[in-house]
Amino acid sequence: MIEVEGLSKRFGKTQAVAGLSFRVEPGSVTGFLGPNGAGKSTTLRSVLGLVHPDAGSATVLGVPYRRLDRPFHRVGAVLEASEVHPGRSGRNHLRVLAAAAGLPRSRVEEVLALVELSGSAKRRVKGYSLGMRQRLGLAAAVLGDPEVLVLDEPANGLDPAGIRWLRDFLRSLAAEGRTILVSSHVLSEVAQTADRVVIIHRGRLIKQASVAEVLAGAEGATRVRTPDAQRLRELLAAAGASVTEVGEGVLAVDLKPERVGELAAANAIVLHELTVEQATLEEVFLELTGGETTE
Amino acid sequence: MSALVRSELLKIRTTRGWYAYLTVVVLLVGVAVAGDIGSSPDAERSLLEFQLGLVDSAGFAALLSIILGITIVTTEFRHGTITPTFLVEPQRERVVAAKAAAVSLVAALFALLALVVAAAVALTWLSIIGADLHLGDPEIGKRAAQAVLLGILWGLLGLAIGALVHSQVAALVGTLIWIFLGETLLLGFFGLLDLDGARAYLPFQALDGADGTGGADLLSYWPAVGVSLGWIALLGAAGIVRTQRRDIT
Repeated sequence: MIEVEGLSKRFGKTQAVAGLSFRVEPGSVTGFLGPNGAGKSTTLRSVLGLVHPDAGSATVLGVPYRRLDRPFHRVGAVLEASEVHPGRSGRNHLRVLAAAAGLPRSRVEEVLALVELSGSAKRRVKGYSLGMRQRLGLAAAVLGDPEVLVLDEPANGLDPAGIRWLRDFLRSLAAEGRTILVSSHVLSEVAQTADRVVIIHRGRLIKQASVAEVLAGAEGATRVRTPDAQRLRELLAAAGASVTEVGEGVLAVDLKPERVGELAAANAIVLHELTVEQATLEEVFLELTGGETTE
Repeated sequence: MSALVRSELLKIRTTRGWYAYLTVVVLLVGVAVAGDIGSSPDAERSLLEFQLGLVDSAGFAALLSIILGITIVTTEFRHGTITPTFLVEPQRERVVAAKAAAVSLVAALFALLALVVAAAVALTWLSIIGADLHLGDPEIGKRAAQAVLLGILWGLLGLAIGALVHSQVAALVGTLIWIFLGETLLLGFFGLLDLDGARAYLPFQALDGADGTGGADLLSYWPAVGVSLGWIALLGAAGIVRTQRRDIT
């Protein structure tokens, strides 16, 4: 559906993307993840024919974007919320695109209603909040009723209510069988919607897998609560574990619970709690991309 | 293609700049024509030659057309709307072609509006003072047609510049500097080199020749139109190549 093969792109001294390859399967929602500056936008813009790669290729629906017939009807994209003329009304922004794509004006009203912007449609975009601009961008993306959607950081600048709205919106689009590739540097934004993730860092692929696979391979920390935290901490540290005190008498340890229990029993330390914390996708993501692990 | 042209026309009409353009055309031409009539002696006002000059005032619309031509490209880069534009039509040369068609249409419209304003001011004033009118003279019609073509040429040259430069400030300021400094310096330079004949081939000298009023140092009308089109084609081709190669980030 979307295929990126050996993609490389350099801007001046910056190697934005370096030999990146991945596939997005039809009918799936794929989260495209990486920290800011990982090369996500460059990759997506290469897929959409806006950026010319130095090497490699990117195809959508089997061909380069530029060779798609009526691309607006096949692929929708939300790139930056600011890519609107501030002096034009939201409705006119969409009418300009609809006219170019040969779509009727009634379609503009449909998508305005879909993103709940009908009431503000005749206001100039200058007065829109960031959330409204993001929704206008989404309206533009679905104008041609495309089977593929590419979204670059659509949750940027949204408040929690806006993020929930976006999640529901993407879910309803996915439920209609559309293929969605959505990028983010904040994993939780896509974790609940995505079936698969493609994680990149410094322009290279780190991992490509289903969300379940990524989670299954992740080791969570062991959490232990004891009235004798100080002594247990010393013993664990002596056993080579890394220990952090996460609360009053609560330690997080990077050892298996069996090992923690054995150590406590051997030294007659009372435990009030011994559990394994499920690693969140967020933690896996941070670990894979070399970020600081959250406590 | 017609869908793309419609979209470009809609882009022009849906910002406030559109009303600014129309207002400036009306004011500029209205003031120019009124000033011409007001500052001329009665006897002169009845002459065909004088009234042809009033028709030529419509040529001021060409200034707006070149600005429109430049900004129809640069505004899209400035506000980032070039991204959705190229998503709808990834064949970028087709977008430039649609802009050329839209600029030609609107430049012609500006010129026609200018002619209507010139006619309204001139006919009102001249008939009040009882001057002889030469409205039916074929020369008047010819000059009017030339004013329309002139506006289109200026608009297309602006489009070619915009497609080549992309940066709004650089394109507008650069064009102004070229007109008032660059070409003047070149005129002097050509004079020093005894290349006086080459002067008339400079882009805005050629456009000057294409305004139909003639001039000792300028090309005659049709050669001037031809050379202007040559510059438009040259800069336009370079602009299309630049636009095609540009990474839209």
